[in-house]
Amino acid sequence: MKFVSGIGGWVVRRVASLSRLIAVAWTVVVSSVQPRYWPPPVRNVLARQILFTGFEASRFISLISLMVGIAVVVQTQVALAKVGQSGLLGPILVMVIIREVGPLLTNFIVIGRSGTAMTTELANMKVNGEVALLDAQGLDPFLYLVLPRVLGTAISIFCLTIIFIAVSFISGFLFGLLLGANTGNPGMFVRSIFGALTKADVFNLLIKAFVPGLLVGSICCVEGLSVGGAVTEVPQAATRAVMRSTAALFITSALVSLVTYL
Amino acid sequence: MSAVLEMREVSFAAQYPYECELNGFSLALEPGDLCLIAPPSGRLVTPIADVACGIVEPARGEVLLHGAGWAARSPQDAAAERGRIGRVFERSGWLSNLDVDENITLAQRYHRRHEPQEVLRAAQALAAELELDGIPQGRPAHVDRSLLLKAQWVRALLGEPKLLLLERPTRELSPAEGAPLVKAINRLREQTGAAVIWITGRSERMEDSALRPTRKCAMEGGALRDLNQL
Repeated sequence: MKFVSGIGGWVVRRVASLSRLIAVAWTVVVSSVQPRYWPPPVRNVLARQILFTGFEASRFISLISLMVGIAVVVQTQVALAKVGQSGLLGPILVMVIIREVGPLLTNFIVIGRSGTAMTTELANMKVNGEVALLDAQGLDPFLYLVLPRVLGTAISIFCLTIIFIAVSFISGFLFGLLLGANTGNPGMFVRSIFGALTKADVFNLLIKAFVPGLLVGSICCVEGLSVGGAVTEVPQAATRAVMRSTAALFITSALVSLVTYL
Repeated sequence: MSAVLEMREVSFAAQYPYECELNGFSLALEPGDLCLIAPPSGRLVTPIADVACGIVEPARGEVLLHGAGWAARSPQDAAAERGRIGRVFERSGWLSNLDVDENITLAQRYHRRHEPQEVLRAAQALAAELELDGIPQGRPAHVDRSLLLKAQWVRALLGEPKLLLLERPTRELSPAEGAPLVKAINRLREQTGAAVIWITGRSERMEDSALRPTRKCAMEGGALRDLNQL
């Protein structure tokens, strides 16, 4: 009986936590289109978040995508050329890079780089009484702290995913040329990729590049603001944020793939 | 004339971060009033300011700002009202990821949507009145504590608030250093009818005739006891 009630309790807690997360993400989406929620200081926070999560991470993302381009694209080119199936290059790259690796790796990097920073920053603000300070001045902590961070994270991940895909294809093609793989001309390479792209792929990419970003941002903010008054809770919150963001990312990614392609 | 702030028989338990309780705490402030409050010895962090501006809800009693209780207001209305209250904070008064000038102008830019330069100019004029050499620059962590305290004065007085809640606003300063604040507050009381709660743990401030308090009290057992008839 105790075992069953334990499972029940766990399920109730998970469902409550999931509904809280969805409520935060939904409120961000609804609030973001209402100009009255965007006074100048909130716009400033959004700009800073995009600068930190998007712009400053773009070099690192480009480096990783360069490596992925070399590893995946070149290997695929060489392997397909060996078996005389170069025509499959486009469909395979679309399936691997655009559908899965691009959005997943980009989200993963942002979780490690910016998600933890965001959680730690908000948790420290909570511990130091800075969230209460905002409240005391009549600034809504949701509008000032959560809305621009979550939206900034989602926008940044979206842009970084596009950068990731573009750089990995370009680097893959160029390294293929350098290594003497049967890459064909650039026009053929681009046509083989765009020719393999379907509407479902574009839909899949848009969803995977934006929705996990919203969830990651929401999880990191909620975890950061959920600490009590002790400094020792800050690293615990950061760990929880990484674990839950990663889980949310993989679950969302799998669900979107299932819905789109099966 | 209706009271700016009324606290009726308010009770609030002493819980972290506060160091003392409120128990049957009553206070009414008309426009232009200044109430000096001495907190219990050694327990300087009181919940008076947070309860007065509706951040925390009292267990008993009610708090009325301009005749309306905090519970009766919508969250947006309550936030806007809080934006019109000037405060010097006992605990952390600064957002560590903003510069001091951004901190000072934050609430004005958020609530009134004034241009940053316009708010900054008003803050600089106030800083001059309060005898500061301009607004301190850089992150709060890199600014001298006494300068930060004076910068809190600027923030509290910015936007000509109708209610000022000052938690030990001269705590690390000599009486002479606090004089510009006293002068500026008296000007606001006369010109705009601002009502003031000034919490102080220093006896010389309680005796400061330049402040012209309308009421002087000490906290005892969570309630106010008048120190003398003014």
